[in-house]
Amino acid sequence: MSLVEIIFWFLSGLALISAIMVLLSKNPVHSVLWLIAVFFAISGHYILLNAQFLAIVNLIVYAGAIMVLFLFVIMLMNQNAETEPRSKSTWIKLAGAIAGGCLLIVVVAAVRDSENLIQNIGGKAYAKTAVTTHGEIGLIENLGRVLFTQYVVPFEISSVLFLSAMVGAVVIGKKD
Amino acid sequence: MNIDWILVLEKFILIAVVVFASLGIAMYETWGERKIAAILQDRRGPNRAGPFGLFQPLADGLKLFMKEEIIPNSSNKFLFVLGPSLAMMAAMMTSAVIPWGGTITVFDRQVSLQIADVNIGVLYIFAVVSLGVYGIMIGGWASNNKFSLMAALRAASQAISYELAMGLSLIALLFMSGSLSMRQIVENQMAGDWGGFLGWNFLYQPLGFLIFLVAAFAECNRTPFDLPEAENELNFGYHQEYSSMKLGFYLFAEYINMFISSVIMATLFFGGYDMPFFNEAAHADWGNWLALIGTVALMAKVLFFIFLFMWVRWTIPRFRYDQLMDLGWKKLVPLALANMLITGAVVLWLESK
Amino acid sequence: MLNALLLMKQELAVVAIIFILLILKLGKDRSNVTFLNIVNTLLLLNVVAGFFWNSEGVLFNEMFRTNPLMILEKNILSLGTLIISMQSYSWLKTHKHVPEFYILLLSTLLGMFFMISGGNLLMFYLGLELSTIPLAAVANFDLTKRQSSEAAMKLIISSAFSSGLLLFGMSMLYGTTGTLIFSQLPAALNGSDLQIFAFVLLMAGFAFKISVVPFHLWTADVYEGAPVAVTSYLSVISKGAVLFVFVSVLYTVFKPLAGAWYNMLFLLSLLTIIIGNLFALRQDNFKRFLAFSSIAQVGFILIGISGSSQLGSTSVIYFVLIYIFSNLAAFGVVILVSAITGKESISDYKGFYKTNPVLAWILTIALFSLAGVPPTAGFFGKFFLLMAGAAKANWMLITIAALNMVISFYYYLRVVKAIFMDKNEQPIERVAMPLMPRLALYVCIIGIIATGLVSYVYDYIHSLTAPF
Repeated sequence: MSLVEIIFWFLSGLALISAIMVLLSKNPVHSVLWLIAVFFAISGHYILLNAQFLAIVNLIVYAGAIMVLFLFVIMLMNQNAETEPRSKSTWIKLAGAIAGGCLLIVVVAAVRDSENLIQNIGGKAYAKTAVTTHGEIGLIENLGRVLFTQYVVPFEISSVLFLSAMVGAVVIGKKD
Repeated sequence: MNIDWILVLEKFILIAVVVFASLGIAMYETWGERKIAAILQDRRGPNRAGPFGLFQPLADGLKLFMKEEIIPNSSNKFLFVLGPSLAMMAAMMTSAVIPWGGTITVFDRQVSLQIADVNIGVLYIFAVVSLGVYGIMIGGWASNNKFSLMAALRAASQAISYELAMGLSLIALLFMSGSLSMRQIVENQMAGDWGGFLGWNFLYQPLGFLIFLVAAFAECNRTPFDLPEAENELNFGYHQEYSSMKLGFYLFAEYINMFISSVIMATLFFGGYDMPFFNEAAHADWGNWLALIGTVALMAKVLFFIFLFMWVRWTIPRFRYDQLMDLGWKKLVPLALANMLITGAVVLWLESK
Repeated sequence: MLNALLLMKQELAVVAIIFILLILKLGKDRSNVTFLNIVNTLLLLNVVAGFFWNSEGVLFNEMFRTNPLMILEKNILSLGTLIISMQSYSWLKTHKHVPEFYILLLSTLLGMFFMISGGNLLMFYLGLELSTIPLAAVANFDLTKRQSSEAAMKLIISSAFSSGLLLFGMSMLYGTTGTLIFSQLPAALNGSDLQIFAFVLLMAGFAFKISVVPFHLWTADVYEGAPVAVTSYLSVISKGAVLFVFVSVLYTVFKPLAGAWYNMLFLLSLLTIIIGNLFALRQDNFKRFLAFSSIAQVGFILIGISGSSQLGSTSVIYFVLIYIFSNLAAFGVVILVSAITGKESISDYKGFYKTNPVLAWILTIALFSLAGVPPTAGFFGKFFLLMAGAAKANWMLITIAALNMVISFYYYLRVVKAIFMDKNEQPIERVAMPLMPRLALYVCIIGIIATGLVSYVYDYIHSLTAPF
């Protein structure tokens, strides 16, 4: 296996294990730390696809800012096991397990079909619909150019979204 | 699977040199801090342990090692140890993208004195600075002490507020340099007249430099922004419960942060490894000596900035928390935005001429 | 250039109103009443201006499309917003944050406009987010009540989760088709398993916003906790906008998958109608009651959508218009009573007729229309929906729907009985109706009666949906 494949499998395993540990940790601060590990693994995947800007911005925004806010809330709320509600009944756990299993079967069936999405050109595998191995678009210069010419309307709308979210947050949080 | 072992060895040596140099410089920063404090306060400072007190850091280090390791009983043990480790790791990781000098030739191999020349260098520094907040927060939480927690939360909110101003002030700089790679920024500055001096960015971005300087003070938790670790506020802040080497890690992490912030300021605004009034391009035949001159120039600038950090510490009184937040959000962020607009307008006008 | 501006005229009008509100807010202090008068006038101008200078076209590389049908849909939403704004007059008169309320509400309206006009999955997603997040902030506007914060919290967390599912579906759709643009998607869809999975996730995102069972669990609690004006906005405008987009997307973009979504809609509509009715039978809080009744109404709409023809889309748009009038009439009465007396449960409304005859009649007509009693418009709406649903000759579906209509009669008429026939020791005292809510209620009642009897409305909508 080439080095890229080894790194891919390692990062995927790390992401999955960290995600499962987020759910299984008893301590909420541990859950946040595992979630940060998930974000690092995902940024690693982005770097493998040569989307450097996306990888770093993922770290700055998600792992650096949003998780800090999560930690703020958790630390100020100070939850411990006594204040947690009673664990759910066995029937609901059983129903959850069955539903999760069905979802797994459906996803596996759907993804098995994805072999049709690969075409072989000259011995190497390429995707039929999306460009995956020529990774110039992830570089910040090209990304900026596309973002500000083709996708400028969604960009501006997201700025309106931020403004209204801030207005809403200030109205809720103001103390008078 | 073929790995270029020589490349790995070369990077490994570079990393080792940078790490040990950072630790050494951090150690002697403690000595420098006490000496400069003494000079400013009209006294002598440490002068017992060796000539001019030069072995004082070794004595301090030994003392810290020998102290008893206290881990509070009801704290979360894993997180308690993780806090200072995260702080130290974030402090060290930043040095990966800084260009320490030009390229040297070793055994017919061009080795560039930079561990990783990614073309998103500046963003990488932001990412690592954002991660540095975690060391403080987790340390404060794991102490199981309400005062440490409050101090840690204050420190974290201060850090994230000033990160924003730092980032915004750098955007105007990026308008001018057109690239995020640190080496590219330094080389753009080296191309100026007067041996590179007129290319230095602080001449073209004075306001940006000032905002970045203030934000760097806040990120390193240095006076006048050192509310989180003040002794008479909130009982010595988030490292109250720490002793021995873990406290040592926190203090060291702060000094390494100071060192790295100085290097970044020197690289982005003061030309990095450019020796002013000295035309590097004309003397390319000097080879490795040229890179050495560059590194010496960088270190001189860094020493000046470290001196500035310590000078300001003993000059300005501490800010109150609400004054600090007010400065960060209501004054620095609008100033940085205005700076960005003006720079953008000027760059577009110059390009259209 | 002027052409482009005219194409976006409704969005620009809303943006202009938001700007004016910002300037007014940052200017000198005004009393709430002045502010409310100004805002309602501006919204009225917005609705009126929507009927002139209409044109058709595509902008920004297919990110924004408009045609007369979309303009009509946006006008319907603006009209609904105006009615809600007029009805919340008495509640807002004493509120501390009136400008922010309108800025947030109009931001959601802007988001809905972009969602309806979007020509690209990305624009659709951004419009959806812009229409959800300020709503969660507005749901908290009863700042002194805890239930309001709980409602806002539930709304934002559940909508974040559903957005996550939606994005997963959209990313897989992009991965398998290679394009995000609506006009190019049908050609690239080949019905593979992965695409159907992506489509199911997309449907989950839609179904959350229109409160289809089993994605309805947020509805009752959020409707109960939020302020009544916000509840009426959520139940009518938010649902209506997403229904418009749902119909348009299903019929144009996902036509190749028609077999797949017909079965899904069949099952979902059955579940929705049955469960909505069952839960509505037991409610005492008026807002919760209206929440479950709206879930049942959406079930009917899904039957209409599953008809998959021009009749289907016409009947859905027609029904949304009627639904706006009837629901807002009912909510209008509840807003007035709740603002002045604070009483919200059905048992408090016993003997309402004795003290407030006019309001009682308005509420009765609204409930008749929701139930589907002729000659109110609700009857015609449901009639056309069932006709559209019968296009695929699935008689079991229609029969079950008709039976559930009878069940819904029970719980709507139970309220009417409480108003007219039950005795109450402490009836709700006489509620004074200021001018604006009174106007809004009269407009709703005229709408309920006229939309059913004046056939021009239905024919006009039918002519616009010809492309489907």
